Amino acid sequence: MNANKTGSRWQGLHLEPLWWGLFSAGGVCFAVFIPAVVLIFGIMAPLGIIDISYQQVRGYYASIWGLMFTGAVICLPAFHAAHRIRHGLHDVKLGGGLVSIIICYGLAATLSATTLAAWYLLR
Amino acid sequence: MSYKPTLTRTWWLKHRFFMLYMLREGTVLPLVFLLCSLSAGAFALQSVEQFASWQRFMANPWVVAIHTVALIAALYHAFTFFKLFPRVMPIRVGTKLVPPAIMVVGQWLAVVAVITVFLWLFVFSGAAHGIVAGPGGGV
Repeated sequence: MNANKTGSRWQGLHLEPLWWGLFSAGGVCFAVFIPAVVLIFGIMAPLGIIDISYQQVRGYYASIWGLMFTGAVICLPAFHAAHRIRHGLHDVKLGGGLVSIIICYGLAATLSATTLAAWYLLR
Repeated sequence: MSYKPTLTRTWWLKHRFFMLYMLREGTVLPLVFLLCSLSAGAFALQSVEQFASWQRFMANPWVVAIHTVALIAALYHAFTFFKLFPRVMPIRVGTKLVPPAIMVVGQWLAVVAVITVFLWLFVFSGAAHGIVAGPGGGV
């Protein structure tokens, strides 16, 4: 594929379906899983409404469920956020093109990889 | 001369519809904070001490405040997303289309189900195994 204009050069890679797929899957996870996760770990546990212990959380997270948790609660929502931020930056006339793509999805990929590494280290 | 439309950075402040659009886009900002907190928590599971210090971080009033905003943002995102789903992916049972309202209710039930599972995992099964620790205690 030979793209002739600078603006469409990177669209020639046809990665948009990938970003949109990750955005879409991440949107489902954001809507279905994140409310429960933020309620438990971000609000109820810190306020002492429920008690979570190191052994219990580690026990759950070090299993295969921890890998699924990382995928559904960290990686996919991270790419969802990256996609919205990328287009949001365009909406407020910041960044754009390949720079936005590398920064947004790059950070999402970094966060995903480091969290997967954290899971792997517990194995 | 060709007409060149100019868009200001604050275009979205000019209409309620655009503001709601930007609000929906903005729901990912507290989400990013939450994802970083959770990722730090995953690393903190390396040792009891690190987990305790992560719990202290999570109990910081500012952090709880941001996470409360993240919860509201997640619910607002869910509200917009669930309305969209029946339009993007209409489901048919036989020849009849499932009414969008039913699909929206079904999705909210999924949210409630996930919250119930998480509460069950940490409240009931935790108590059943006798592993209960105070906030910030971590042991």
